[in-house]
Amino acid sequence: MSASQTNTPPSATPQANAPQLALSAVHFSYRRPGEAARVVLKGADMAVPRGAFALLTGPSGAGKSTLLRLFCRLEEPDAGRVLLAGEPVDALIPAILRRRVSYLQQTPVVVPGSVRENLLLPFGFKVSAGQNPPGDAELSAGLARLAAGDIPLSQEAGTLSVGQRQRLCLVRALLTRPEVLLLDEPVSALDADSARAVLDAAEGFCLDDGGTVVLVSHAAFAPARVVPLRYELSGGALSWTPAS
Amino acid sequence: MDAGVISIAPWRLMLALVFALIAGGCSLALKLDLGRDLLIGTVRTFAQLFLMGWVLGIVFSVESPWLVMGLFLIMAAAAAQTARGRVKESAVAFAWPMYLGMTAVYLLVTITVTGAIVHAQPWWKPQYFLPIGGMVLGNSMNSVAVALDRLFSDMRARAAMVEMKLCLGADAAEASADIVRTAVRAGMIPSINSMMAVGLVSLPGMMTGQILGGSDPTQAIRYQIVVMLMIVGATALGSTILTLIIRRRCFGPGDRPLLR
Repeated sequence: MSASQTNTPPSATPQANAPQLALSAVHFSYRRPGEAARVVLKGADMAVPRGAFALLTGPSGAGKSTLLRLFCRLEEPDAGRVLLAGEPVDALIPAILRRRVSYLQQTPVVVPGSVRENLLLPFGFKVSAGQNPPGDAELSAGLARLAAGDIPLSQEAGTLSVGQRQRLCLVRALLTRPEVLLLDEPVSALDADSARAVLDAAEGFCLDDGGTVVLVSHAAFAPARVVPLRYELSGGALSWTPAS
Repeated sequence: MDAGVISIAPWRLMLALVFALIAGGCSLALKLDLGRDLLIGTVRTFAQLFLMGWVLGIVFSVESPWLVMGLFLIMAAAAAQTARGRVKESAVAFAWPMYLGMTAVYLLVTITVTGAIVHAQPWWKPQYFLPIGGMVLGNSMNSVAVALDRLFSDMRARAAMVEMKLCLGADAAEASADIVRTAVRAGMIPSINSMMAVGLVSLPGMMTGQILGGSDPTQAIRYQIVVMLMIVGATALGSTILTLIIRRRCFGPGDRPLLR
């Protein structure tokens, strides 16, 4: 990381145009009773412009997942500000924030029931009141976009492979039309075909839908169609590497 | 009432200790290491019941609603403390909501039974209010403990599912609705099961006591039916209200789950 800088990309200066996602002097530590605090972020700054594809790498246990979880308020910072389009995330109604910033867990989680029931799950929540749930054609098209068009909507979700579940979870998140996708090691447990489908969809979300992606990966990874903003988190310091 | 009761002389009461000695013998023979607990349990049985008998004697003779309510509040505090001790969770503060919730719910149920069903005059008449309140508390504290224990263990075991729903736009209530349902169900099942067995497998304490006291068995049965239904209602209300109140405490600001 000799080329690394600890500031933010020039294109994402906060005042010029509020970035889609931003951290400002964020500190975060894990505290357990009887144990010393484990510092994860020491005054982290980050600015991800709208439509960007940010890639966050770092060693295991560095706090990459924690950083993603701060953006959707699954964690609260000890100090500093977390912003969505210039607005503090804690000023937003949590359900609405999490619809705008969709966090995909590392291990895909499905509820008992069919693939269709799983895909329609978000549309049963109060935040979707007044919204028409997608029909079967839209659900099938969503699966096809992730190279999972062969999965019948009536199939029990519990019978799917890990790769199929991950794709189902991504389709489910995309159906809610978020502004930001936070992908936590989305391909670490997947076969090559599933991994390619997930990464294609993530890149397509940026290029075709104008969405913003932050993807966490512990391994080196080069997107095929987008030039990513590269961040590294190590020892509590978040650094940005200019694109070569 | 005393006309039908065969009085137990003190030395015959001591004879009942034979059963405690038998239990102690089993513990010794099988090296169960329960001798000390058996001894303490036996002493506490004598001490607590004689103390309660003495207190009830005073309360019955004074007939003050304040005294009756004061004793009920102490009993509710003891029930809440017992239930609290059975729930193994330290990350969520729930002792006060538990005590206040149990007291309010079981006070309401007891007043309904003594005032509207038994029609005691006045509704706080200690001979009715305290035994009925005691039965409500004694049976329901177990259901509350079971429900809360299940709530906390499932919130931890199913944390990924809760987070997944939150991430899809659910609020805390929606994300944990299945867990609450399972917890309340776990709390209610024992009292429903006991309704299935009553009269076939077991003759419950209140009915047995009334029959031993010389009451007409048909009257004793009516009381027992009231007690069984009251317990089911109290366990349902207690488990539901307390689980809902304490579920809220499993989430921090921004509907952030605290148990993982």
